[in-house]
Amino acid sequence: MGDDPAVTLGDVRKTYRVGEPVHALDGVDLTLDRGSYTAVMGPSGSGKSTLMNLVGCLDTPTEGTVTVDGTDVTELSDRDRTSLRGDEIGFVFQTFNLMPKLTARENVALPLIFQGVPGSRRTERADEILERVGLGDRGDHRPNELSGGQRQRVAIARALVTDPTLVLADEPTGNLDTETGAIIMDLFDEVRAAGNTVLVVTHERHIAERADRIVHLLDGRVERVEPLRDAGAAG
Amino acid sequence: MKLRESLRLSWRSIRGHTLRSTLTTLGVVIGIAAVITFVTLGVSLEAGILGDVETGDTNRIYVWGSPPDQGGGPGEGAELVFTQRDVTELRDLEDVAAAYPWTPLPTESMAHGNDTVPIRQGVIATGPEYLDSEQIDDGRQFTEGEHEAVLNPAAAAQFEGNVSVGDRITVSVPGDSEVNVTVVGILDTSEGQGPFEGFGEDPRVYLPADPVYLDLAGEATDDPRYLSVIVEAESPRTVETTRDSARDYLTSNASDASDYLGDDLELTLQTGGELLDQIRDILDRVTAFVTGIAVISLVVGAIGIANIMLVSVTERTREIGIMKAVGAQNRDVLTLFLTEAAILGVIGAVGGTVLGAVAGWAATEYADLPLSYPFEWFAIAVGVGVLVGIVSGLYPAWRAARTDPIEALRYE
Ligand SMILES: Nc1ncnc2c1ncn2[C@@H]1O[C@H](COP(=O)(O)OP(=O)(O)OP(=O)(O)O)[C@@H](O)[C@H]1O
Ligand SMILES: [Mg+2]
Repeated sequence: MGDDPAVTLGDVRKTYRVGEPVHALDGVDLTLDRGSYTAVMGPSGSGKSTLMNLVGCLDTPTEGTVTVDGTDVTELSDRDRTSLRGDEIGFVFQTFNLMPKLTARENVALPLIFQGVPGSRRTERADEILERVGLGDRGDHRPNELSGGQRQRVAIARALVTDPTLVLADEPTGNLDTETGAIIMDLFDEVRAAGNTVLVVTHERHIAERADRIVHLLDGRVERVEPLRDAGAAG
Repeated sequence: MKLRESLRLSWRSIRGHTLRSTLTTLGVVIGIAAVITFVTLGVSLEAGILGDVETGDTNRIYVWGSPPDQGGGPGEGAELVFTQRDVTELRDLEDVAAAYPWTPLPTESMAHGNDTVPIRQGVIATGPEYLDSEQIDDGRQFTEGEHEAVLNPAAAAQFEGNVSVGDRITVSVPGDSEVNVTVVGILDTSEGQGPFEGFGEDPRVYLPADPVYLDLAGEATDDPRYLSVIVEAESPRTVETTRDSARDYLTSNASDASDYLGDDLELTLQTGGELLDQIRDILDRVTAFVTGIAVISLVVGAIGIANIMLVSVTERTREIGIMKAVGAQNRDVLTLFLTEAAILGVIGAVGGTVLGAVAGWAATEYADLPLSYPFEWFAIAVGVGVLVGIVSGLYPAWRAARTDPIEALRYE
């Protein structure tokens, strides 16, 4: 904690060996400062999702170090990595990834179950966050009873429910129309304004431009970093 | 994750596939139901036969003569070989506490006033010691030498406006003979009173062989004989000695029975204890057989659960990925799927127990047995259900827990 950056990647490589080795990431150095807002762009297959999974402690690199909140993730056991993920990181996916049989409220409360938060507290907290993303009246709806934009807002609520320091989103607007996408991105602005570190993968320029800077990936390498505004000065 | 949460989540997922979950549990249902049915039947049989018999019965010796290799139950193939003199002689033996005949009286009907009802079986000529006086609900035991009778409730109910103590009934036998007896007692149960009678609830009339049987049979033949004799020892401990004395007498030339037995018939003297053992043996064999079937059925049930759980794990790969992404530990996922399998097992076991209890009830009704439930087996059944569920859920749950979250999230 303290002065450590939120995330540091040091010469990270991720190689998949399916016949010919595929270097999904091929020597990436990247630092995400606390409270920063970073967008990642790049052509399909450039390694965006791979990067995201590594930062999100879902995966470990073949080589190099991933440090989240001062902890070297590569040194952690699977168990501790999962705990870190549950406590510090919130995920938002392109395909929402909600539990189909659970209501919006239950979906939002899901991460808290694994943290051992008691039931009444979970419901309270889930309703609070749903309210914040503008779905206070949709708590009892199942995902299939919600629009795409509403589903993504539920997913964001779920990502925020544990009060993570780091919020990661892989193409959060990929399945949404422009207008709905804008509403979703407004939420990320709020998340960031609340002091969270945000990393968003997108292939849409106007989405990426909401960030402090854009990291361009190409063939598993950082091609260039494009600063847009001073970190912390966004709004 | 707390057990309550995993129970809740698993239950949600089972409810989400009601039909599938129901079908999944069928194997377990059938296995458990089979066991519960037959154990209920067994326990009821024991309670029905052994329960009644056990107390006073272990010092009794049942004696009959039948062709060798007859097989079958007690008294099967018995022929009329014992005379009243034999009974009297047996009584006088040193080790014998009591000896009395047991022989059915062939009858056509019985009448109470103008009310005549047919009865072909169930009129039994015996001695007063045969009936347990504690089982006489109303009145008293019949007395030897008197024209008296004790009825069981089923026999009393044959007549319109029930027969009660003090009434006179007329028993007609083939050949236009009849005898009047006074009802002196009504039993408290219509179950059979011993191994010769079986355990079913049928109308039965008990009356003294001397004089009723001797009189009626004496009209047809000069040497009335009994089908069987019951000899009682002083105590269950001396029953073997008593049996030896009774056998010595009956096989000696001094007895009438030895003449009637001749070379063609074989004398059997079976103690109440042996009969109990035989019944127990049959029950045990039936139970073993049914348990075998049940085990097979449970194995099939377990495979069914395992199969469906594997399908379910594959189907829910994405959900597993989501849960892991939001902080579910391998252990949490394992617990979830194990819980689900265990719940399926419990549902199967409870369903099987209910079905078995109903089937057991139907079977005892059909067999005219007093129903008694093996409640400890109900608990065992639920335990077995949990066990079957957990065992069959182990591999699928392990597979689920091992799922790589990235692969899972990528899974279409
Ligand atoms: N599990 C895997 N096994 C083998 N190769 C993989 C695996 N995951 C990713 N790759 C490869 O790694 C490279 C980077 O994949 P990644 O998913 O990170 O791309 P991306 O930038 O997110 O692309 P897109 O914009 O299409 O989502 C691709 O060439 C992909 O084929
Ligand atoms: Mg991608």
